[in-house]
Amino acid sequence: MPLLGQLALALALILAIYSIAANIYGLRGGHRDSIVSARHALWAMCAMVTVAVGVMWNALLHSDFTIHYVASYSSTTLPTVYKITALWGGQEGSLLFWTWLLSIFTAIVAYQNRRKNLEIAPYALSVMAGVAIFFLAMLNFVTRPFVLMAHVPLQGTDLNPLLQNYWMAIHPPSLYTGYVSATVPFAFGAAALITRKLDDTWIRTTRRWAIFSWFFLTLGNLFGARWAYEVLGWGGYWAWDPVENAAFMPWLVMTAYLHSVMIQERKDMLKVWNLALIGMVFGLTLFGTFITRSGVISSVHSFTQSGLGPYFLSFLIGVAVLYAILLIWRVNDLRSPAEFESYLSREAAFLFNNLALIGIAFAVFWGTLFPVLSEAVRGVKITVGPPFFNEVNAPLALALIFLMGVGPLIAWRRTTPRNLLRNFIAPAILGVATGLFAFAAGLREWYVLAAFSLAAFVLGTIIVEFRRGVTARRHMVSEPPVRALANLVAKNNRRYGGYVIHIGVIFAFVGIVGSSFFKTEVKRNVKPGQSFTIGAYQLHYLGLDPTETAHVETIRARVEVFKNGHEVAAMAPAKLFYKAAQQPATDVAIRTTPVADLYLVLAGYDDASGSATLQVFLTPLVFWIWLGGLVMAIGTVIAMWPNVRERAAIAAAVRGRVENAELAGEPFAGGQ
Amino acid sequence: MKTFLLIAAFASLLITSPSIAATNPPKTTRQEVAEGLTCQCGCGLTVANCNHPNCEFSVPVRGKIDAMIAKGMDRAQIIASFRKIYGEKVLSAPTTQGFNLFAWIIPPLALLAGIGIMALTLSRWRKTPQPAPASTPPTLPAADENDPMRRELERQLRERI
Repeated sequence: MPLLGQLALALALILAIYSIAANIYGLRGGHRDSIVSARHALWAMCAMVTVAVGVMWNALLHSDFTIHYVASYSSTTLPTVYKITALWGGQEGSLLFWTWLLSIFTAIVAYQNRRKNLEIAPYALSVMAGVAIFFLAMLNFVTRPFVLMAHVPLQGTDLNPLLQNYWMAIHPPSLYTGYVSATVPFAFGAAALITRKLDDTWIRTTRRWAIFSWFFLTLGNLFGARWAYEVLGWGGYWAWDPVENAAFMPWLVMTAYLHSVMIQERKDMLKVWNLALIGMVFGLTLFGTFITRSGVISSVHSFTQSGLGPYFLSFLIGVAVLYAILLIWRVNDLRSPAEFESYLSREAAFLFNNLALIGIAFAVFWGTLFPVLSEAVRGVKITVGPPFFNEVNAPLALALIFLMGVGPLIAWRRTTPRNLLRNFIAPAILGVATGLFAFAAGLREWYVLAAFSLAAFVLGTIIVEFRRGVTARRHMVSEPPVRALANLVAKNNRRYGGYVIHIGVIFAFVGIVGSSFFKTEVKRNVKPGQSFTIGAYQLHYLGLDPTETAHVETIRARVEVFKNGHEVAAMAPAKLFYKAAQQPATDVAIRTTPVADLYLVLAGYDDASGSATLQVFLTPLVFWIWLGGLVMAIGTVIAMWPNVRERAAIAAAVRGRVENAELAGEPFAGGQ
Repeated sequence: MKTFLLIAAFASLLITSPSIAATNPPKTTRQEVAEGLTCQCGCGLTVANCNHPNCEFSVPVRGKIDAMIAKGMDRAQIIASFRKIYGEKVLSAPTTQGFNLFAWIIPPLALLAGIGIMALTLSRWRKTPQPAPASTPPTLPAADENDPMRRELERQLRERI
């Protein structure tokens, strides 16, 4: 079986190379059959990588320790779900998984474009195949997943206990899906540059792919934060770790891109900028992988390190240079008549939004790389940690939130100060009132007051926008409010889905600010029967509860939680010891409410006396971060939902272009 | 003028930006000092956040911080004493001296440069308005032309309902 996996990967590499060759031959000589053959080769490549993944999953599920990877990242006692997730628990497996996703997306793009975009799709597919060739070459020659053991062990060394967690089962696939699907808009952008088809066809074709990528980058970041919150046991969810930063940067730039393309679609502006942004997104996904794999920068999230770093760096530089050359080569073709009337316009707000997002992304990039730079220049290792990132990014975050409120309510082209005042008076009053209320409630940190005021202001602008839409609809068709709201969203799903996403961002922002400023911590060594308090909670420690399975030993502390004299929860934080891996781990207990999370860690214990050291965090508003993520996900689904009217408009546009092309006697090869 | 106001607004945000946790009372706390130090056990967290129960670095360092506070030392003095022992890598953020200053000034400078480039570009675009190309979809009337948002929205709804 391992041979089958290796053979499948070798065939996949050959098929990817063939696909590019067949596309070049077909495009240069006008051989349509060759282009079709190239597409079929990509489907076959996907099938081959799927076979390799199937072989690996089969080996993991059957604890086939003849394969080095299985022996290194699995054990006979590992629960089945983690045998499946062990595919992305180690270096070779995660690259295989990455390549599998890429091959699936490539196959889907090949299918979607089998009858349309015939001028640029073969080039885009060749770019995707080129990326696949790099990953397949790594799998065939550098980090081979099907290497056999010289001596087959009876037991594997098990999956890292930190990865034996529900969130780790879904965090890497989400993040990888976000990373890899960003290849699609990048490939079409590159294809547009190669073919000189520089209208917004490439953007329209890949709009859903870009939102899809953003959606999974969002989920990936949130799931990763949740994993850190539950598993690392320090009461936090984000530490500006290099790997966290590497996942955050593509999200920021993709967010900028999704806003910026609206200006191109609407006003035919910013063509160079949009192509540069999507190039940056793709480059940052490679940069993220480089950081995770190379060991250049140490990280709490980096579970695999190897000699892949130089290969990734070379590929990253190669892609960046080639893409930059393409962009510079076409820059004259990308110039468009710029139409800008006023700083008080939606396009100006979107541009400042782009600036803030890219500014944050740059600051994160700079802070992440600065230790490497310092070591190279001065020979001194330094740390760039949370204080740096918080200080540099905090004002930009406020600016971004402010622009999130301004953008939707001002018109394209220009708006007058009088109009601005009329649109913003109610949200501004809401914002100021919130700030005053927070001040009256005892908050004194100006950043918190500003953040909460701005959050309320943005929510106010969104409410005003929904209200305005519902009112207008009711004027037009006399619908009851709820139906008018539903129809408004359904018929303008992209726009209102975007507003829902903004609501989610505001929720998450409020959660981040609240949990960053007002976290309290207590650490107590307690004997059974003793109690202590944190905030409004009284914690009563009952004792330790040991349990054991074939896979893990568990010591669980039993704690009753009281509030105002009433028992509100029974919590049981634990220390785990994984037998095969011979490693300890922490299982925290969390009681979540919209106001605050009560977070218990069993920091230590004494078997003989039954005493325990409990570390307890009371962290306000964390709930809103996860709720914000859910709202963002719902908003994204709304924005991505197929819109019948939009499809009809696109179909009409394509029909129009076909007719025009036929009238002009040209073969039609574009469209949507 | 508006450009300069916008630049000034952004610049003032940067210049007056506080640390998210920068509300130092006169007398320091263990938490404040520990957040300024990076744990050297490999966890990648600050001494305040490392939760390894028997961490060989953060556990004794927290004790030492308590002792130094009891002696009356302030945050800067305590952090300086740890820096003397462990080197710069123990600090959780770069200093603001020498080469490390670049860590702090490059991001705001880059942002200001971005604002400048954008303002210049937009000013140029505004001075030389050009007719929209044939491929550009017809733009909507400016929102200020007679009762802006409602007319705009009603027009859109009329088209789409």
